[in-house]
Amino acid sequence: MFKGLLYAALLFTLTAHAEPWPEKDWSQGLPLTGPAAKALDDYAFPPRDDTTRKGIRTDALLIIRDGQIIYERYAAPTTANTPHLTWSISKSLMATVLGVAFGENRFKLSDPAARFYPPMKQHPSVTMADLLHWASGLDWQEDYEFAPLKSSVVAMLYTRGRHDMAEFTADTTTVSPPGQAFRYSSGDSNILSATLKGMLGHKAYIDYPWTALFQPLGIRNATWESDADETFVASSYAYLTARDLARVGLLMQRDGRWGDRQLLPKEWVTFNRQPFDHYKPGQDEAVPGGQWWLNREVQGAAKPWPDAPADTFAALGHWGQALYVMPDEHLVIVRYGDDRDGSYRHNELLKRVLAAVQP
Amino acid sequence: MIRRHPFISLLILLLLVLLGWVWHERVNLQAFPDIIAAYTAKEYCSCRYVEGNPADYCLGYVKQYVPTSAFSDNPEKHRVTASGLGRTHSAQWLGQREGCRLLP
Repeated sequence: MFKGLLYAALLFTLTAHAEPWPEKDWSQGLPLTGPAAKALDDYAFPPRDDTTRKGIRTDALLIIRDGQIIYERYAAPTTANTPHLTWSISKSLMATVLGVAFGENRFKLSDPAARFYPPMKQHPSVTMADLLHWASGLDWQEDYEFAPLKSSVVAMLYTRGRHDMAEFTADTTTVSPPGQAFRYSSGDSNILSATLKGMLGHKAYIDYPWTALFQPLGIRNATWESDADETFVASSYAYLTARDLARVGLLMQRDGRWGDRQLLPKEWVTFNRQPFDHYKPGQDEAVPGGQWWLNREVQGAAKPWPDAPADTFAALGHWGQALYVMPDEHLVIVRYGDDRDGSYRHNELLKRVLAAVQP
Repeated sequence: MIRRHPFISLLILLLLVLLGWVWHERVNLQAFPDIIAAYTAKEYCSCRYVEGNPADYCLGYVKQYVPTSAFSDNPEKHRVTASGLGRTHSAQWLGQREGCRLLP
């Protein structure tokens, strides 16, 4: 009897120390409580004004520690079942899909994009790595609301470019030599999407995000809209529930491994997390890696998010969408929002999350 | 001419600059009025049929400073049409994976 109990206790300890992975759904860990959790709540979910649309407007906040949910809250009408628009998080998702293709030896970082996407013959020396660094050198205007007349993004998504977004981008003139300067560009991300189509052929490409990434991770509710040429809009239009996006976060937290399977080569994740050499501090809100954003000190400039660890990296999107990964803290955080002004601060949210998860 | 009609000369110069700018930006200016109708149709369609949010929420979600003049949503066909600045655009929901797309 006593021996039986001992075995049961041992078994329990062993299971508790095993590495949890989400199966059909996530398992629940010890939920965050106390004043620090309340402070996090207060920051993320202040009273919401849907008329003025001012202030911080979080739609979803989900925190995963060691592969288990420790915090989850939604604001109506978003629920755990809402495939929420991720906007530019889609870029990091396409990079992750490309990582699987990279593991299948379908391309090398030094390959010219034109090898897979002929319209890029106009810019023959732009490589896959240049596009992944948003450093194609193409003259792209990323502004959304403030310069709608000149905005390349608005033209690409809604007017002149919408039939074939990659071609619209490839037809842009050059402003600097490829690989030499960071210039954030939704166009670069859509050319990446078109190169993947070139590697796979149209038929395999249309299923590839699902077969290569979503299904292995157990993601059942993904939508990825494409343009009229049936190229996925890698810059903007992937939709996932918060719980499903967190699966991609966990994959990245664990260096591209899902269970026993190394889905992304470690080398790929290292590339994603390596700062782009020619980035100048202050050019953007965080440091660009390979289609992911990094919290790294570069050229003597402080970390973009001073209260978060230096190994923090993120996928970020318009109007407050974010997937943060902190490998050393074993944390994955999904934050969806509808922020129409600039009041939301990544650093403030991360600071409060870190305070709330302290034992 | 310049000395005798300084104001008219200045006006002509400004007009020439303006015409030059219009010519320079002709492609952008021609496409500009399409933005509001296309944006409203596409993003409403996705809000409603991809994200599955209520209709009144989605109307608020797509609201911009530029007003739309007409709007219709056909729930049976999953087709959304919006007009603004004299242009009309429609978006169609294509399926669970495919989501919405602007019609040509």
